[in-house]
Amino acid sequence: MKRFFLGLLLLMPAFTLLLSQAPNDPLVSKCLQSTGPNAKYLKDFRIQLGEGAEGGIFRYKANLSLWKNTKYRFTLCTSDKSKGQLIISIKDENSNNVASSVDEGTGTVYPYIDLICNKSGIYQVWFDFAGGHSGSGVGIVSMVQ
Amino acid sequence: MKGRAFFLVIVFLVSLSSCRNNTKKSDEFRLAGSDSMYEAIVPDDEFSSDISVSFSSPIEIANLLQMLGVPFSQGYMASSLDVTDLASGFDKALALGILGADLGYLNIYEKTGNSIEVLSSIRKLAEGLNVGQYFDFETIKRLSLSKSNLDSLLFLSIDSYNKIDRYLTENNRGQLSSLIIIGAWIEAQYLATQVIKKHPDDLLRDRIGEQKHFLNDLIKLAGPYCSIDKQFSGLCSQLNQIAAKYDDVKITYSQGEPVSAPKDGGLVVTQTETSKVEMTDEQLEEIIDITEEIRNKLILN
Repeated sequence: MKRFFLGLLLLMPAFTLLLSQAPNDPLVSKCLQSTGPNAKYLKDFRIQLGEGAEGGIFRYKANLSLWKNTKYRFTLCTSDKSKGQLIISIKDENSNNVASSVDEGTGTVYPYIDLICNKSGIYQVWFDFAGGHSGSGVGIVSMVQ
Repeated sequence: MKGRAFFLVIVFLVSLSSCRNNTKKSDEFRLAGSDSMYEAIVPDDEFSSDISVSFSSPIEIANLLQMLGVPFSQGYMASSLDVTDLASGFDKALALGILGADLGYLNIYEKTGNSIEVLSSIRKLAEGLNVGQYFDFETIKRLSLSKSNLDSLLFLSIDSYNKIDRYLTENNRGQLSSLIIIGAWIEAQYLATQVIKKHPDDLLRDRIGEQKHFLNDLIKLAGPYCSIDKQFSGLCSQLNQIAAKYDDVKITYSQGEPVSAPKDGGLVVTQTETSKVEMTDEQLEEIIDITEEIRNKLILN
């Protein structure tokens, strides 16, 4: 029994170190790892939405300043308990569509978008879960070299 | 006995884990439409969120410099800023923003061994503003010293500032939040304008010209607080002095539809709409000079 506690005590510093190096939210941590080796983290959006209507406008909006001559990666991660997959739509300040992770024609939902930005400005990023379903997820914005 | 001891250990480990989550639970997720109501001076919520993302701006400037092959220089940083002499919340918040930009510069260039001094100043400032709990100093310091994981370092640094911003805004201290953002912007602008003097480059020149948009937004952000005291009104006046130098800088746009193509499981979207900056050498010179003058005044204690 003593050995068991001694082992546990020896393991605890490693355990706390592990906890403190990772972002608090495991989904954010997991999502960070999936942004790719050449991506530099800029911002994350943590989204949690209840059940909504299918085909409605995206329910979570945020604003983001983007710079021209920069390649941005929007990585989308959905928690396992979500009913729908996290999706994103990016619009410019005049609400013109710039990019969407959903291909309306084929129904394909992409897990990330690389946006090669050629116009600096404030952009609207809209999030929802596919089909207007409930869910929680993380959208990470990073720069790609 | 064995069962009881084991239970106590499990409770301890669970509480250790849950403590980390509980202290910051309110930051984890924000339900749409759950914005708080504020009684103090509060700028338009939507506008405020436009600006709140600007902590990434110094990182992007530093990243651009690195991509252009501009060598790192400690001389661009606010090394003379002595945080122990700062008494007012105004000075502390502004300095927190300035040093945040410097930290971003160090991180991008992976000069993280040099960042310990900056980190300890940031810690003093954050604690002085009672927001020290949102800055994970020990982990950031450890990651800085180990030089092992740039992405985690960037995440923790930026996320800490975002948490401070959110906490201040939600606790009727939005003026401090705006000061941090203004400080970070001025330092990043100083960095870009100093570098272009020694390393002229069209991309960097464009980036400086395009700050016209963001400066206007910054002035709107500061607007509600400009009359609260002399220090704030002085800062607003300084921002307007920089903006005046941008008056004749023109930004034009050409229209175009974005082009999308699937690649490696994701989607690559290329924007064909472009922006173009028209800025003369004289205008750039004036922007460099006014930025230098104001930034150097701000770091003087």
